[in-house]
Amino acid sequence: MIRRYAALIRNAWLVDLQYRASIVLWLLWGVTEPAIALGIWWAIAGDGQIAGYARADFARYFFAVMLINQLTIAWDSWYLDRWIRDGELNFRLARPLHPAHEAVAENIAYKARTASVILVVWLLVAVAWPAVRLPFAPGRWAITAVAVLLAAAMRFFISFTTGLLAFWTTRATAIMELHAGVSLFLAGRIAPLALLPPAVAGVAGALWFRSMLAFPVDLLTGAVQGTDAIVRGLVWQIVWLAVWVGAYRLAWVRGLRRYGAVGG
Amino acid sequence: MPSIVTAEQLSKTFQVKVRDPGLRGALRALFRPRYRDVHAVRDVTFRIDPGEIVAFLGPNGAGKTTTLKMLAGLLYPTGGRVEVAGFNPWTGGPPFKRRIALVLGNRQQLVWDLPPEETFLLNRAIYDIAEGDYRERLAELVTLLELGDVLQKPVRQLSLGERMKCELVASLLHRPPLLFLDEPTLGLDVTAQDAIRRFLIEYRDRHGATVLLTSHYMQDVTALASRVLMINRGRLLYDGALEALVARIARTKRIELVLGAGGGDGNRVTAEALAAFGAVKSFRFPNAVLEVPREDAPTTSARLLAAFSVADLSIEDPPIEEVIRLAFARGVEEEE
Repeated sequence: MIRRYAALIRNAWLVDLQYRASIVLWLLWGVTEPAIALGIWWAIAGDGQIAGYARADFARYFFAVMLINQLTIAWDSWYLDRWIRDGELNFRLARPLHPAHEAVAENIAYKARTASVILVVWLLVAVAWPAVRLPFAPGRWAITAVAVLLAAAMRFFISFTTGLLAFWTTRATAIMELHAGVSLFLAGRIAPLALLPPAVAGVAGALWFRSMLAFPVDLLTGAVQGTDAIVRGLVWQIVWLAVWVGAYRLAWVRGLRRYGAVGG
Repeated sequence: MPSIVTAEQLSKTFQVKVRDPGLRGALRALFRPRYRDVHAVRDVTFRIDPGEIVAFLGPNGAGKTTTLKMLAGLLYPTGGRVEVAGFNPWTGGPPFKRRIALVLGNRQQLVWDLPPEETFLLNRAIYDIAEGDYRERLAELVTLLELGDVLQKPVRQLSLGERMKCELVASLLHRPPLLFLDEPTLGLDVTAQDAIRRFLIEYRDRHGATVLLTSHYMQDVTALASRVLMINRGRLLYDGALEALVARIARTKRIELVLGAGGGDGNRVTAEALAAFGAVKSFRFPNAVLEVPREDAPTTSARLLAAFSVADLSIEDPPIEEVIRLAFARGVEEEE
């Protein structure tokens, strides 16, 4: 399986090399949103604090969002929608390799590429700007790595499962757009969850949104404190991951049975 | 020898949403959707032996591709039983998939932006092909398909024919005993079509592979298939040799004549004179084509030779396209 992944990732990178300009554009897209959010909160915070967040806290928060969002984002619903509707799923189903492996390999290739650039940028900025430096805490970083892995797996299954809805509807990507719109607020992309009205933050915590981004971000910046809170966050991530894996299994089995395999 | 493909009472029904035209229709479909059953394949039964080349014949939407996709495990049959290479295609998983190749003329697996060799390397990894085997098979396929200099060009710069050849290479590196080809020559020029046909026969002869193909080109069928399965509206109309189908459907033969310079007694040959021997399909001196009942062809030929000065005479079946058109128009079963 390692050889297969190596070959899939290699191909993904080779394809990317053909489209260097688009990599830069995607990267800019990933950076712009948190940069704008940071700019706004920077101006609002002034010299004071909002819900315990000072300017430097916002800076660290949004740099962490930038990195962790890149590490966990999944575009698979768009791929799957196309595979299913254009019949590109056919040859993938005829190979002795589950199509999800190709999707996972694509994710690894994409994330390794974009996140490493963001990490380097963050390090360079940190040299000049102490506000975005994180306290040296290897233990916390290790736990964050686990949380990021769980979040990436969950967002992969959310995206893959939503893409599978293309077996039933032509609106699968629209559902994913809606999810992305909601997660702008509920996952903490536009503001730390602590700043949201308690009811909204409650919804984010009760559903999977906090687990997919805000929790690992808060873990990295140190906003989540205490073993209890960390364990609780990780357990929720595992629970929601399991739920989405279950949804994926259901959609995959049912969807394939229904598959019309485009063409006469 | 046990069959490599067995289909018994194989059926596939799709549910299609029905929508009346206009805004009202759209709204009604939104709140009270209606569905219609489309029977793409109905109770199709056949067996295929190893090493056979079998062609599915039928108009668009006849159910050829649907049948092929059920055999390849892509579509879930609504009814009936299938066994392919000893597996149920739906549950066979990777061991089954290693034994088949699926080539779809209109949907390709080659990575568009990379040279074909990258797709081959990917498949080497996916199918766990040993390095030595990979090199040997690639060399063989590249030679047979005359692909020498295209392996390093990006796929998007290749011609359609080159792409289809590379598609075949990618699909055959794991040397499957069973090939499913859906319109393998679609849109190709005559030379490329011919190259693919010659390759498929050579490949079958070398490796004993079984080939199932669908095609719109009758030449694919006449050049390749020892047997045809004729499908129309989801039903199997005919299963057997192409020659036997022609003999059954075409009750006539064509006698093609090239007449000599002078008639028997210096009389000029006229269409009326020829009409005494059979139906005149075309006549422009010195060429004439007559259609006569099959069984009368030899005696009529002898009478023609006696009556006229004939430079050349041949007895032919009607063009295969016409036979097939007739078969679909009348339905083969009526002929039995």
